[in-house]
Amino acid sequence: MDCSRVRTLVRRYCAGEENWVDSRTIYVGHKEPPPGAEAYILQRHPDNRIVSSKYTFWNFIPKNLFEQFRRIANFYFLIIFLVQLIIDTPTSPVTSGLPLFFVITVTAIKQGYEDWLRHKADNAMNQCPVHFIQHGKLVRKQSRKLRTHYAVQDTKGFHTEEDIDGLHATIECEQPQPDLYKFVGRINVYNDRNDPVVRPLGSENLLLRGATLKNTEKIFGVAIYTGMETKMALNYQSKSQKRSAVEKSMNVFLIVYLCILISKALINTVLKYVWQSEPFRDEPWYNQKTESERQRNLFLRAFTDFLAFMVLFNYIIPVSMYVTVEMQKFLGSYFITWDEEMFDEDTGEGPLVNTSDLNEELGQVEYIFTDKTGTLTENNMEFKECCIEGHVYVPHAICNGQVLPGASGIDMIDSSPGTSAREREELFFRALCLCHTIQVKDDDDVDGPRKSPDSGKSCTYISSSPDEVALVEGIQRLGFTYLRLKDNYMEILNRENDVERFELLEILSFDSVRRRMSVIVKSATGEIYLFCKGADSSIFPRVIEGKVDQIRARVERNAVEGLRTLCVAYKRLNPEEYEGICTLLQAAKVALQDREKKLAEAYEQIEKDLVLLGATAVEDRLQEKAADTIEALQKAGIKVWVLTGDKMETAAATCYACKLFRRNTQLLELTTKKIEEQSLHDVLFELSKTVLRHSGSLTRDNFSGLSADMQDYGLIIDGAALSLIMKPREDGSCGNYRELFLEICRNCSAVLCCRMAPLQKAQIVKLIKLSKEHPITLAIGDGANDVSMILEAHVGIGVIGKEGRQAARNSDYAVPKFKHLKKMLLVHGHFYYIRISELVQYFFYKNVCFIFPQFLYQFFCGFSQQTLYDTAYLTLYNISFTSLPILLYSLMEQHVSIDTLRRDPSLYRDIAKNALLRWRVFIYWTFLGVFDALVFFFGAYFMFENTTVTSNGQIFGNWTFGTLVFTVMVFTVTLKLALDTHYWTWINHFVIWGSLLFYIVFSLLWGGIIWPFLNYQRMYYVFIQMLSSGPAWLVIILLITVSLLPDVLKKVLCRQLWPSATERVQSTCTCGHDHLPELTLLACPQSPSPWATFQARTQNR
Amino acid sequence: MAMNYNAKDEVDGGPPCAPGATAKNRRPDNTAFKQQRLPAWQPILTAGTVLPTFFIIGLIFIPIGIGIFVTSNNIREIEGNVFMYYGLSNFYQNHRRYVKSRDDSQLNGDSGALLNPSKECEPYRRNEDKPIAPCGAIANSMFNDTLELFLVGNESYPTPIPLKKKGIAWWTDKNVKFRNPPGDQSLEERFKGTTNPVNWVKPVYMLDSEPDNNGFINEDFIVWMRTAALPTFRKLYRLIERKSDLHPTLPAGRYYLNITYNYPVHSFDGRKRMILSTISWMGGKNPFLGIAYIAIGSISFLLGVVLLVINHKYRNSSNTADITI
Repeated sequence: MDCSRVRTLVRRYCAGEENWVDSRTIYVGHKEPPPGAEAYILQRHPDNRIVSSKYTFWNFIPKNLFEQFRRIANFYFLIIFLVQLIIDTPTSPVTSGLPLFFVITVTAIKQGYEDWLRHKADNAMNQCPVHFIQHGKLVRKQSRKLRTHYAVQDTKGFHTEEDIDGLHATIECEQPQPDLYKFVGRINVYNDRNDPVVRPLGSENLLLRGATLKNTEKIFGVAIYTGMETKMALNYQSKSQKRSAVEKSMNVFLIVYLCILISKALINTVLKYVWQSEPFRDEPWYNQKTESERQRNLFLRAFTDFLAFMVLFNYIIPVSMYVTVEMQKFLGSYFITWDEEMFDEDTGEGPLVNTSDLNEELGQVEYIFTDKTGTLTENNMEFKECCIEGHVYVPHAICNGQVLPGASGIDMIDSSPGTSAREREELFFRALCLCHTIQVKDDDDVDGPRKSPDSGKSCTYISSSPDEVALVEGIQRLGFTYLRLKDNYMEILNRENDVERFELLEILSFDSVRRRMSVIVKSATGEIYLFCKGADSSIFPRVIEGKVDQIRARVERNAVEGLRTLCVAYKRLNPEEYEGICTLLQAAKVALQDREKKLAEAYEQIEKDLVLLGATAVEDRLQEKAADTIEALQKAGIKVWVLTGDKMETAAATCYACKLFRRNTQLLELTTKKIEEQSLHDVLFELSKTVLRHSGSLTRDNFSGLSADMQDYGLIIDGAALSLIMKPREDGSCGNYRELFLEICRNCSAVLCCRMAPLQKAQIVKLIKLSKEHPITLAIGDGANDVSMILEAHVGIGVIGKEGRQAARNSDYAVPKFKHLKKMLLVHGHFYYIRISELVQYFFYKNVCFIFPQFLYQFFCGFSQQTLYDTAYLTLYNISFTSLPILLYSLMEQHVSIDTLRRDPSLYRDIAKNALLRWRVFIYWTFLGVFDALVFFFGAYFMFENTTVTSNGQIFGNWTFGTLVFTVMVFTVTLKLALDTHYWTWINHFVIWGSLLFYIVFSLLWGGIIWPFLNYQRMYYVFIQMLSSGPAWLVIILLITVSLLPDVLKKVLCRQLWPSATERVQSTCTCGHDHLPELTLLACPQSPSPWATFQARTQNR
Repeated sequence: MAMNYNAKDEVDGGPPCAPGATAKNRRPDNTAFKQQRLPAWQPILTAGTVLPTFFIIGLIFIPIGIGIFVTSNNIREIEGNVFMYYGLSNFYQNHRRYVKSRDDSQLNGDSGALLNPSKECEPYRRNEDKPIAPCGAIANSMFNDTLELFLVGNESYPTPIPLKKKGIAWWTDKNVKFRNPPGDQSLEERFKGTTNPVNWVKPVYMLDSEPDNNGFINEDFIVWMRTAALPTFRKLYRLIERKSDLHPTLPAGRYYLNITYNYPVHSFDGRKRMILSTISWMGGKNPFLGIAYIAIGSISFLLGVVLLVINHKYRNSSNTADITI
């Protein structure tokens, strides 16, 4: 977030009035401007090399190491390692050095591989050929050698290379900045006279890097930004850093363990000095210190001892957890991309994973914010009807993309229009044919999927807005066909099959604030028209003539049916007026500063005093299974909010269609209209009273949200009302309305926000995100206007849609269709959450098991930091004996089957609110670890205390003691995981039994040879001797049983007495599928106590 | 706002491509692994499945426990080979400074390490400029009391019980891990240039008269060098072998233990013990294992019964609940 703030600051700075220096001047073809025009300042620009890779061959190692050690965990282990190197510590530096090296290497390999891929992509980019003109000739070069101000292949009238070479111009534009959709610049063309012609350049004149040409073979252009200064490249680096809830709790647990570690070390240090206060303990005759040790300062000694204890116990913070978690996320995310069910046949797109850091967050979503158009709906528009002057025209079923037979004719619903009305009608059709930004593509080189069938010539309309295409195609059905734009003349084919030509004078392009667009055209007879089309709310206030009331009624009717409506208006301009408009526009367009604002003002002046012609209605069909998906998500306890720019009636109709609102949903409105009647204050209080009155009696049960007798509420709010709520109040008398609003929202099962500006979408997400429960939010959308909310939400999901890929590109995950969200959350999210939470808890558990015996041992070895286990065991415990089973578990585990999860969305509630990483669970695991550690240690202790454990009378030493504890531990810890595994594939079998076998083989080998490179042979034959003793076997079996018993007991009892919904489903799956339908009804959220379950049951009865 | 784009996007460029050949390629493989549908065994720990396990554990553990307990209690009778141990308490053989104070290369007969012992041996590394062999605190503090056992018979003077010195150390220690310095000369020659540990009266090559029990491979020494796990420990001192099947190894009677007291334990509040024990298949007398087995077996059996009751009750209640709803 800081980044963006800095960037906005920078941007503001760049756009500042006085910072004229911050624009750059490009001299086309290296030609100096004619003397006197302007000072020629030679500017240096980078070459066109794109560098997206982070490292080079040379700096990989230092830079990567630096990056890695910036992570706090790695740094911690580095410190431990250095401490081990410097002071005399109980364990050799290898024990922490090797795991650290392993972790660093694995991460480096992963990052190196990713960087190699980037290098490859960069090379492919940098080596692709470009053509540029040097002295009138076309020269081919590699892309990376391109520099700014080579004339690269818009200037009308230039057709050949020589022409271009003759161009003498400079381009002034802003310094590179990352906003893709904004460009401000102007071109000065110097003719022979010393009076440069100034033309404005806007984002419509800019070709971004990576753009492809569609309708022409070549264009001429000037390279303005090159290499890393291109807008695309500027957008490259910064990526939002989102952290999942699991990661947050993981960090909290880490801090707890760090505290445990420090207190352990402190306790032991203090006890050591208390114990040693008697000299015969500190230095008995048999164990003297060296002279230098004796002379060392007491405090220094105590500090060294403290550090040594820290080193001894440092394994309690699992080194390999980070790398395992990272690998789990990285590898685990492939299951999403591999999912066949989330692959869309029509578009050939599968799901994309842009970040694997948030996999488990998918299982934690509480609020979904969804866009409507293109996300809930197909964004596949179908022209339904048009209403001209109150007469309704319905063309026969037309579906864009498909030819339906018998589709040419007009059905008059109302009486046939008179002659003047006919004129109006034709004007309406012409307006629709002209007022758009569609491009026509001939059919021979089909590129887009949308075809416009015509009896004669078939062509394809391409537009960034599917509405426009639907309209133009609809009008085609009604007899007017838009042919093409040629040499600034728009050609249309009228009913009489005559070609009419209109000269296109100006386009006042669409924007989401104005919500309308206009064109100014000149007919063949020389009349100048302004046609304007836009949302009803933005057209009606600007209309001075026309049958407004009839049309308004029709528009509202259509909106209620869920149709998207647009109004069309026109204005006839006389040449003088046109001249005025021209100068107004020109002035605004050429401005380098505040161009947008000036343009908006100009548009405002031009688009007024219009004559209303009519309205259109376009249907946007719901996406396949959208209703089903929303229903499932709601059952899963997720609140679904629809955020849309559409008008309220349209949006509400869609919400009913997709079952967001049900028939029994009581709708609460918080709209501008209502606020006009009452004050915001009164409306809010009234609403909250309605909501709270009802929920007060049902607070216990309200989150199940399913029972039919429960009244559920749906809230509709519009953008204007929202901004009123969001506005901090000046008087500050009674807090602000936000809390009240949130309170209302919390009690509504569905919320619809209509007439939202893109930024308001993000605002609402932020509002919910920061509310006091801190719910996990998910935003899903397909268009550029959804990007802000996608970036704002905890999880951003892009729908790979028709409105380009901006949303997909900025999202964390991208799916082809809205329906895929169901599987993504309910199945994948659930699995990932289960997996990673077990991973985290298990890691802490196994390290408690590992380290706690060490801690206990200190009480029996005079607090001398003697290790219980051999160095090899210390080193390999986390990286090889116990690492693979948990990694594979965290990739493969399925506690219930995929089908069950999909069929029964309420299972999702079982894991809501980070259920598996709550303190209670964490403390259970930690205590289980402590218990097991006590069993290992004292089991072995009582075995060794004062007796012989071999059958030949010989005695075991301290290393056998440690090995016994370690063996029991490795088996217990692995078998504990085996008990938790619900899905035993051959891989799990292989890995679990394999690592136990590996432990045995390793121990046999490690103790079987005198290792020449070691300066101690303490483990020689220790393991084998241990196994040759009968009692050792008996102890191992006993201790493993004892350690596993409580966990098994807990599992069985919990399942039997307080089963969660998941557990119920699990048991029914084993005894047959017949009971399932009943159980889905039965399934209620995890009850905190048997009493709650009981009460719920009695209530249901 | 922050944005991210993939270099790949740039290369591909353009809008999503039309369905066709490319779409076919991008379609994920329908393999069991990728679709997470590998055949799997899906066990669930329910009362029903766990119950038998509890009973089985109970049924197995209790007899084992009883067996162990009985065996362990029978050890009292002095039959078969008798093992003589000495025990020390409050002696921290597992102190870190102590445990590491040895040089395994030296003990393995490495001639370099013999004359230049490892730094870990400090302050028992050199004495009067001569390297100590065997170096280190462990070796230096080797137990040096002598224990002799006499049977006080009817005769005027007691008969000594023959105590066997060999066979008290691990075979692998004696034969592989511990080796005297190589050479054909006498042992004294081979240890030339070294000095005995400070607290030793005799040099290492005079530990025993038998050459295969002298020097580093002296079994008393090897036994001492295996550091104990806990501060109260015992170490095998001698074996008393059974002579014939007819007589018990140590017949009933009065015995007389002669201790040559060399080893000071008073300074660190320590105790010395002498233990005579026979050994069964499960080692010396140790009630812990037997009791633990019986206890765990009983608990597990009890839990099995409790679970059975709960399972029974629960099933009834859950059935009725299913019906009512």
